[in-house]
Amino acid sequence: MTTTGPVLPPEPMVAVDGVSKWFGDVVAVSDVTFSIGPGVTALLGPNGAGKSTLLRMLCGLTPPARGEVRILGVDPRTNLAVRSRIGIVPQQEAMFEALDAFGFVRLAGILHGVADPDAAARGALGLVELDPDEPRKVTTYSKGMKQRVKVAQALVNDPEVLFLDEPLTGLDPRQRNHLIDLFARLGAQGRCVLVSSHVLDEVERFGSRVLVVAQGRLAATGDFRAIRDLMDDHPHRIRVRTDRPRALAVELVAKPGVTAVELEPPSGTRAGGVVVETTDAGAFRRSVARSACTVHAALWEVTPLDDDLDSVFRYLVQQ
Amino acid sequence: MTTPNFAPPAAPTSPPKPMAVFRAVYGLLLRSVATRGRIAGIGALGAIAVLTAVAKHSGNPYHSLDTGTSFASFLLISIVPVAVLVFGAAMLGDLIDDGSLVYLWLRPVPTWIHVVAAWAATVSITAPVVLIPVMLSTAILDTSSELMIGTLVGGLVAVAAYSGLFVVGGIRFRRALPWGLAYIMIWEGFIATAGKSAAKLAVRSYVSSVLARETGIHIKLANFTLASAIIVPLVATAVLLVYGSRRLAKSDVA
Repeated sequence: MTTTGPVLPPEPMVAVDGVSKWFGDVVAVSDVTFSIGPGVTALLGPNGAGKSTLLRMLCGLTPPARGEVRILGVDPRTNLAVRSRIGIVPQQEAMFEALDAFGFVRLAGILHGVADPDAAARGALGLVELDPDEPRKVTTYSKGMKQRVKVAQALVNDPEVLFLDEPLTGLDPRQRNHLIDLFARLGAQGRCVLVSSHVLDEVERFGSRVLVVAQGRLAATGDFRAIRDLMDDHPHRIRVRTDRPRALAVELVAKPGVTAVELEPPSGTRAGGVVVETTDAGAFRRSVARSACTVHAALWEVTPLDDDLDSVFRYLVQQ
Repeated sequence: MTTPNFAPPAAPTSPPKPMAVFRAVYGLLLRSVATRGRIAGIGALGAIAVLTAVAKHSGNPYHSLDTGTSFASFLLISIVPVAVLVFGAAMLGDLIDDGSLVYLWLRPVPTWIHVVAAWAATVSITAPVVLIPVMLSTAILDTSSELMIGTLVGGLVAVAAYSGLFVVGGIRFRRALPWGLAYIMIWEGFIATAGKSAAKLAVRSYVSSVLARETGIHIKLANFTLASAIIVPLVATAVLLVYGSRRLAKSDVA
C-alpha cells in the first residue's frame, strides 16, 4: 500500500446528518448525526441496535428515509465513482460459490478498475495471510477463512474509506490479533476505518474512539473514557484497598461528591477495602490520600471499577 | 466529534473498463447458474421432447409439415420458456436473495452492465441446452428447410425475449420462479390465447408468428408479420432490460 503527502480535504471523510431509516413500523435508525475522519473508529452496539443498517446506508446499499449521508463529500448511493474509494466487509455470509479466493478477490479488483487485478488480488490475500493459489472454492472454507477473503476483497482497491461489519467473526485469537493490527495500520495511514462490533474487548483493542448505538439512536460519540467522565448520572465506582477500611470509610463518606460507601471484606490474601461511589472522580482522587493520612490508614490501591468500555456501554444502552 | 483532516492515500484505480467488467460479470453469472442440477433438469425436458417426437413419428411415419409445425410451436411455447425461467430468474435473483449481490453492486459499475451480462449469460446457456433438442425433435417429424429455419429463428426470438423477461423478473420479485411459472401457465397459457389484444402482450404469439410465416401453416393467434414477430420482442426485451437496470440501481441491497 502506498501513501501520499497530506492534502486538506474540505470536509470529513464520513458525514452523517439527521439520518433515519425505518422498515414499515420498525425504526432501525433514528436521527443519527456524526462525522469521522482518518483513523479507526469503532461502531459499538448490542445486536439489533442498528449498526448494520447504519453501515449499509453509509455504503449506499440502502437509502436513508430521512437525512443525508456523505462519503468523501458525495452521496454514495448516486455517485458511482466514490464506490471505487470505499471498501466494505458486509455482514452476510453468502459468497460466489463458483469462485476460489483468488478469483473472488480478483473479480473485485476488475470491477473496481484496478490496473493489475491479479497482483492486487495476490497482495490483498497476502495481507490477510491467505494462499492465493488455494484451488478450493470459497464455499468450502471455514468461517474464519471466508471472513478473511471478505476482508481481502474490501482491500483490493486500496480504499480510502473502509466499513467493516463484525470483521473478526469466526477468527481464532492469532488471526484476530493480526487483523486488528492491520486495521490499526490502515487507520494510521490516513484511511477512515469504521469497524462495527458488539464484542467489547475487540472494540477496546481498536482504540478509544467509539460511536455507541443503542435502539437505533446514537447514544454517545468520542473517546469512551471522556464519555464516562461526562456521565454525571452514573457515579464513578472506585475501590480503595487499605489496612483500616472502617476508619477510612467513615472519613470518606463525609467528603463532597461521595454518594455511597461500601466495605469489602478481605478475601484470601487480599486486604479488605472500601468501594466508593462519587460524582466527581477527579476530586476524589486528589483528596483520598489526605483522607487516608487523617485516619492513619495505609493506601495500597486506588482502582476505578467502571472506567472501562463495558461499563460505559452498559450505562449507555440502559438509558 | 471532529478529527484532524489530512489526506488518505490516493486510490490507484481508473474507471473500470466496461468490456472487462462485462466479461467478468458474464463469466461469473454463467458459472454460478449453470449447475449440474439445472442443466440435467432442462436436459431431461429436452429428452422428453425428443422421445415424444419419436413416439409421434412412429405413430405416423410420413413426414408432415403440419405435424412438424404444430409440434415445434408447442415446444417453443412450453419447454423453452420453462428452461429460460430456470436459468434467467436465478441469474441476479439468487444473488439478491442471498445477499451476495453486494459484491457486484457496491462497485463503480453501472447496473445496466450487470443486467445485460445476466441476459447474455441466460441466452448463452439456454440456447444450446434447449434449442438443440427442440430442433432435433422437430427434425424427427419433418426436415423441411422452412420448418427448420422457422424453428431456429422462432427459438432464438423466444430465448432472447423470455431471457429479458425472467432476468428482470428475478430482480423485481423474490422467489421469481413461481411468479414465472404463473406467467407461463396462466398468462401465456390461458389469458393470452383468449383474444388478439391479449395475444399482443404474450411472447408466444410472436414466436408462433415466426413459425407460421416461415412454414405458411396457420397457427392460432399467430398473426404478426415476420418483421414484427422478430423486432417487437427484441425491442420489448431492450425496454425490459432498461427497466431492470433502473430497478436494480434503486434497490435495497442486502
